[in-house]
Amino acid sequence: MKEKQVKAKPVKENPAPKKEAPVKEKKRFRLDLHKKNSLKGLVFVAPFIVGIALFFVYPIYMSLRLSISEQVAIVGMKMQGFTIEHFVKAFVVDTEFVPTFVDVVKQTLTKFPLTIVLSLIIAILLNRDLKCRGLFRVIFFIPFLLGSGEVMQQLLNQGVDRSVLNIMDGKLIPYNVLSYFGDTIMNAVQTVFGLLVKVLWGSGVQILLFLSGLQSISPALYEAAKIDGATEWEIFWKVTVPMISPMLLLNIVYTVVNSFTDISNPLLAYIQKYGLTDAEFSYGSALGWIYFAFIGVLVAIIFAVMQKYMHTSEVEEVKKRERKHRVFTIEKAPKRTFE
Amino acid sequence: MLKIRWFRGQWLHITFSRVLLYVVMIALVCFTALPLIYLISTAFKPLDELFVYPPQFFVKNPTTKNFSDLVVSLGSSTVPFTRYAFNSIVITTIIVLCTVIVSCMGAYSLVKLQPPGGKFLFNLILVALMFSAHVTKIPSYMVVNGLGLINTYGALILPNIAVAYNIFLIKQFMEQYPNELLEAARIDGAGEMKIFLQMVMPALKPATATLTVFSFVNNWNDYFSPLIYVTSQAMKTLPLALQTIGGGAAGMSVGRAGAVAAATFLMTAPTVIIFVIKQGQVMETMTYSGIKG
Repeated sequence: MKEKQVKAKPVKENPAPKKEAPVKEKKRFRLDLHKKNSLKGLVFVAPFIVGIALFFVYPIYMSLRLSISEQVAIVGMKMQGFTIEHFVKAFVVDTEFVPTFVDVVKQTLTKFPLTIVLSLIIAILLNRDLKCRGLFRVIFFIPFLLGSGEVMQQLLNQGVDRSVLNIMDGKLIPYNVLSYFGDTIMNAVQTVFGLLVKVLWGSGVQILLFLSGLQSISPALYEAAKIDGATEWEIFWKVTVPMISPMLLLNIVYTVVNSFTDISNPLLAYIQKYGLTDAEFSYGSALGWIYFAFIGVLVAIIFAVMQKYMHTSEVEEVKKRERKHRVFTIEKAPKRTFE
Repeated sequence: MLKIRWFRGQWLHITFSRVLLYVVMIALVCFTALPLIYLISTAFKPLDELFVYPPQFFVKNPTTKNFSDLVVSLGSSTVPFTRYAFNSIVITTIIVLCTVIVSCMGAYSLVKLQPPGGKFLFNLILVALMFSAHVTKIPSYMVVNGLGLINTYGALILPNIAVAYNIFLIKQFMEQYPNELLEAARIDGAGEMKIFLQMVMPALKPATATLTVFSFVNNWNDYFSPLIYVTSQAMKTLPLALQTIGGGAAGMSVGRAGAVAAATFLMTAPTVIIFVIKQGQVMETMTYSGIKG
């Protein structure tokens, strides 16, 4: 309604520049609406901004300042001057930092592709019409509920993940048969099982996220694909994967970041030792910044790579179509009036 | 392919792929369920079974002695167990409620209203995702201290509300919400608040349910914030209390192992219950009305 009124006004007032005026007026109108919307948006996002400024931006700023200045007094965290001594120390003087770092990176890089693939497979299986689906779903998610709790720590301390075979002892897997093959194979099988168990325990969230991604794909797409004669394999790669690509990105970022910022991560314990226990705040912060610069670069790479293969969301496509549509009407409308 | 007569005259089709599916699922479930089985059975294990190596998954002589041990060990401390439980419940509930509201509002604004600086804020959120809170704990402590919140519920609640991961999660869901519906509502004269409360929030139900579960579990198990921001016994939460029962952070005393197992079992119960309640909603399909290709 409003648009029509705005359009109509300039035509009445000065009919000479017929073609330009309506376009100009429309632009100004849209800008105003945009401004209004964005102001409203600011109100909506304000609580979040306050929270993140207080408990993220300021602490981050402080820790950055700590890492590049000399610590004068522990009480009140007085600091002075500018120095990169702490960063140099981490690589040159500290003999433990670099090996621990490499270890953590290695562990993460072996675990995260396994987690993603396994959880996607499980989510797809769960999305089929299984009997007792709810039960399966709950069971897969339960390790996450225990995840940071005492129980998981106890289990891992006792080496349960490695000795799954011993525990199952002859009940599920013929343990004795394996022992004929010798120690090397025994060990290899145990390691594989241990890794599998650990990965399964760590993929509750990923399964849940993939599942909600899968559920939001409209069945019409699958129907259309089937009618066009696509096989299950083709449907998976050409419908499922593109449609859940936002979830895939979220999951990959979540998995990588989560395993790097896990409490049981030895490097974080190392950083914390300096930052909290030994009260060497500056050195602790410097280590933290090196670590997170690395994670940042890694995640940036993931984003850059994924963006290429990312399926543009339906919303964006609709927007594009809208824009086309608008151009179409603007061009066509005057023609009709002239005829 | 096999056909078996099922009840009510239905036919049960057994194909090779179906059988394989079930076998794979059950094998995976067996692995995954281990911690839960261990958790439950440990709570009922007598002392001699608790320390067997390799650990046994199934209890042979179940006993409830661990629970009575727990009551005894708590009777000696000055602050009753119920106070810890009360603290945990109050703090977690408030955090979950606030974080759902704040994240949804923020995500709605970032995706649909595009406020000035929205892009910058989103980049900030991405950066925040990568930071472990543990590294910035000392500066955060200074902020909390500066606000005069030490030893209050505020210290445990406020820092955990505006969490980058939460808003990121909701934002992912929000992007799927069709703009046409919002435009239609605006044309019909609905205010932004009305649109948010009556249209966006109901459609985001699966997302908020997911967020509720995540946030609840994280904050219920949060061990670090009470450790740092709180010094008084009466303000401590369950995870810290659990360690006190176990004999402090230095090492678990052998005699209390049973009590700790029982307490762990009791502490984990709410997280499992809340997930079981919410899981139906979590899986609910996003409403897709209004979009037509």
